[in-house]
Amino acid sequence: MTKRGLYKLLALLFSFALIAAACGGGDDDTSAETGTETTEAAAPDDTEPPDDTAPDEVETEIAVDPDARVYGGTVTVGLEAEATGLRPWEDTCASPCMNMAITVFDKLFEIDSGFIPQPYLAESVTVNDDFTEYVVTLRSGVVFHNGVELTAQTIADMFPIQQAGAQSAGAVTSSNLADVQATGDLEVTYTLSMPNSAFLAFLTQAELGFVFEPGAAAADPDGFTFAPVGTGPFVIESRDLDNETVMVRNNDYWRTDADGMQLPYLDSIAFRPIPDEGTRLDSLLSGTVNAMQSLRQATIRDARGERDGGADITLLEFQGNNVGGGMFNVALPPFDDVRVRRGLVQLNNQEQVIEALGGTGISLPGTQWFSPDSPWWSQKVADAYPKFDFDAGVATLQEYVDDPARSDGKAVGEPIDVELSCPPDPTLIAGMAVIQQVWDASGLVNTTLTNFDQQTHIANALGAPPDFVGIHQAHCWRFSSDNDPSLDLNPALAPPSPAIAEAAGIPGVVSPINFSNWFDPEAFTAAVAAIRTDNFEERYALYETIGLRMAEEVPIWFSGHTATMIGVESNIKGVNGWILPSGELGGGFPGAEGRWAEVWVVPE
Amino acid sequence: MFQAVAIRIARLVATLFVVSLLTFMMTALLPGDPVNAILPPTAPRDQATIDRVRDELGLDDPLPIRYINWAADALRGDLGKSYVTNQTISDTIKDRVPVTAQLAFMAVFIAVIMAVPLGILGAYREGRWQDTSSSAAMQVMLSVPNFVTGIFLIWLFAVKLNWLPSANWSRISDGLVANLKTSILPATALATTQIAIFSRLVRSDMIATLKENYILSARAKGLKDRFILFRHALRPSSLSLVTIIGINFGALLGGTVIIETLFAIPGLGFRLINAISSRDFLAIQGITVFIAFVYVLINALVDILYLVIDPRIRKG
Repeated sequence: MTKRGLYKLLALLFSFALIAAACGGGDDDTSAETGTETTEAAAPDDTEPPDDTAPDEVETEIAVDPDARVYGGTVTVGLEAEATGLRPWEDTCASPCMNMAITVFDKLFEIDSGFIPQPYLAESVTVNDDFTEYVVTLRSGVVFHNGVELTAQTIADMFPIQQAGAQSAGAVTSSNLADVQATGDLEVTYTLSMPNSAFLAFLTQAELGFVFEPGAAAADPDGFTFAPVGTGPFVIESRDLDNETVMVRNNDYWRTDADGMQLPYLDSIAFRPIPDEGTRLDSLLSGTVNAMQSLRQATIRDARGERDGGADITLLEFQGNNVGGGMFNVALPPFDDVRVRRGLVQLNNQEQVIEALGGTGISLPGTQWFSPDSPWWSQKVADAYPKFDFDAGVATLQEYVDDPARSDGKAVGEPIDVELSCPPDPTLIAGMAVIQQVWDASGLVNTTLTNFDQQTHIANALGAPPDFVGIHQAHCWRFSSDNDPSLDLNPALAPPSPAIAEAAGIPGVVSPINFSNWFDPEAFTAAVAAIRTDNFEERYALYETIGLRMAEEVPIWFSGHTATMIGVESNIKGVNGWILPSGELGGGFPGAEGRWAEVWVVPE
Repeated sequence: MFQAVAIRIARLVATLFVVSLLTFMMTALLPGDPVNAILPPTAPRDQATIDRVRDELGLDDPLPIRYINWAADALRGDLGKSYVTNQTISDTIKDRVPVTAQLAFMAVFIAVIMAVPLGILGAYREGRWQDTSSSAAMQVMLSVPNFVTGIFLIWLFAVKLNWLPSANWSRISDGLVANLKTSILPATALATTQIAIFSRLVRSDMIATLKENYILSARAKGLKDRFILFRHALRPSSLSLVTIIGINFGALLGGTVIIETLFAIPGLGFRLINAISSRDFLAIQGITVFIAFVYVLINALVDILYLVIDPRIRKG
């Protein structure tokens, strides 16, 4: 019996024991002791800074599998949620959705193993000197699943749909995209309203990068979500919402592998949403599914345990820039005062939070927007980020608490009130409990924990027009991605309200998704400058400036980088090392998003 | 008789009104603007866009007007359209009711076939080890939450023994065997609490029945115990069981929420959980009211059945 299995059996026996105990007499001392022990366990006497160098085992190296390719077979993939819609312009497409959508749609550009955009459905691109015009040449001979040929006009016809789409419209604005014209049979000209050296990164994303058949989309926008039409390696066969979506091989797919073999290798692929993490892993272990994704450290830990216990599975782990933590709403007192923010961050026992999240040995502690493996990571920023230091945190908070002019209007010496809110995920709740214990142990903070469903959690942070201040205080959040930094950072640093934009002399430049409401002119200026050059050194220096400003002002705090995993049965190959049409190695499986066109099954 | 039935139908209508009103109010009064849940975070949030969405959903109308409009549409079978799945709520319910209903029926079936023999055994061996040990087992089954049983069943039958799939659903149209393979574990997990309730009920009713004079008379005639138990005692001891099955069937529909999520089964409960987490308020309202409607309807039918069966209630 594996350790995990043993835990389950013990859990059941424990339930029985609880019932027996409930029927018998009780001993009230236990809870008090437990409370003391827990507080002591969280008591901060270790002031060593967290080690954010990557242990070897936290990431699987991306490499092309040398085994011989085999045609045929079906792979069933367990996803953490259902893709509620498959309209790139309209529906939110997170990691589970991306696994499905990438089988139906191709992108104009795809990331390589260094996360640099490379042509995919596009064949080449030229850019003008000031990064306001991108001329993209498409590949010839590509057809959609409904037989319509891909031309430059297709891309131009997608644009009005994208401009009106709930998802794509935001990307159109963020990227500064003003116009898309067919300037040849296969030549598309993207015109931007302002320079953006990172525009191609938008063409690697679902919102602007996925190529869909605009005729089908316009004819039946609602129906398109159940019958999407792209140029991808698989064609949708059936869609049973919340149960199973089946895709079959696109026999007219335009791609071949490096040896000239027609892609895809699989006959079909099925996707099943299995929201419970334990059930999804059990499904892989029992063969109910052949592959699974997870974005939870605790599941990765359990999967490693099963693999080490002899389960015939391969785990493909990825540690990207996506980093967990939280943000302070700097528009509300007492978080408008940097002493409060800094003090609370100094009281964030990162290692214990990561342990509570199940990420010890899996998740790297975060100090900035980027992970240590990222080319954008900065040692200076890592050094500047406030480390866990209980005494220093207490001293910083004490300064605010003793200030007669403190912003929350409370009397001198009174503790500050903090509402710490997270979505109701068990591991997040455990992590919150650790933060609460340390904050409250300072004697200067009264922490209240709240949990809201994901949508309400986001809505609380978003707020309403005109100011979009939100009602959140200290708010769990995930930051960053493996995209170009500008995609996430620029909207997060722009003025959150018209009034702030006006005061900063940039009226009309407003970003409701600056959730922390922190606006720093120096950081924002650097963010804008970073999309006006494509020189890496210049851009690196600008993002380092932003990182240093964040470390000084601490509008957000970091726990650990989000480890993700795709687990597969050992005879499933090719998830690890897909290639670009140019023959270069692709970007692997960031965010547990697989590219299934080059996956094959070795017969048992 | 007619008057009694009319009173129960009136009660049913009143209950549905209260349930629908409460559900509507609860979802309408949740903190935050529903527009924020409907529009993706990255969508444009200018006032015109927000006003358009509010206007489409009638969010600017006063709450009573919104409720009346929604209820009037609901009475015509139009429960609105999910902005998350893009399906009408009526279609969602139509697609998912067979799944949830099958799960509930199977759970009741499993519970009855397990509970009746255990109840009879407990009554027949009242006070002996068979009775006390089965009572203890029932106590455990009553106390362990369904989802814990579900996790254990998955671990045992899917992971360890590899006999059954751990998740998802094969529809009956895919073949009965495939369907049973995916439904047996969740139905069993759902049935465990019911087994305990039903068996305790059968046991206590059976104990009372076995003390009736006609049972003593049957024994005096020298009839075999098995014959007495199953032919003479079981039927009169089953009336309460039939009642509780009816009442619990409605409760089972609600109980499927967690089990369907655990086993990733595309029933009403799974959709309801997804609707809650995505704040799909039209789906929450529609599915909740539908479940309440089924629950209240079944209870009303049981009430009316009583009237037919038992003249004393009719006259009372």
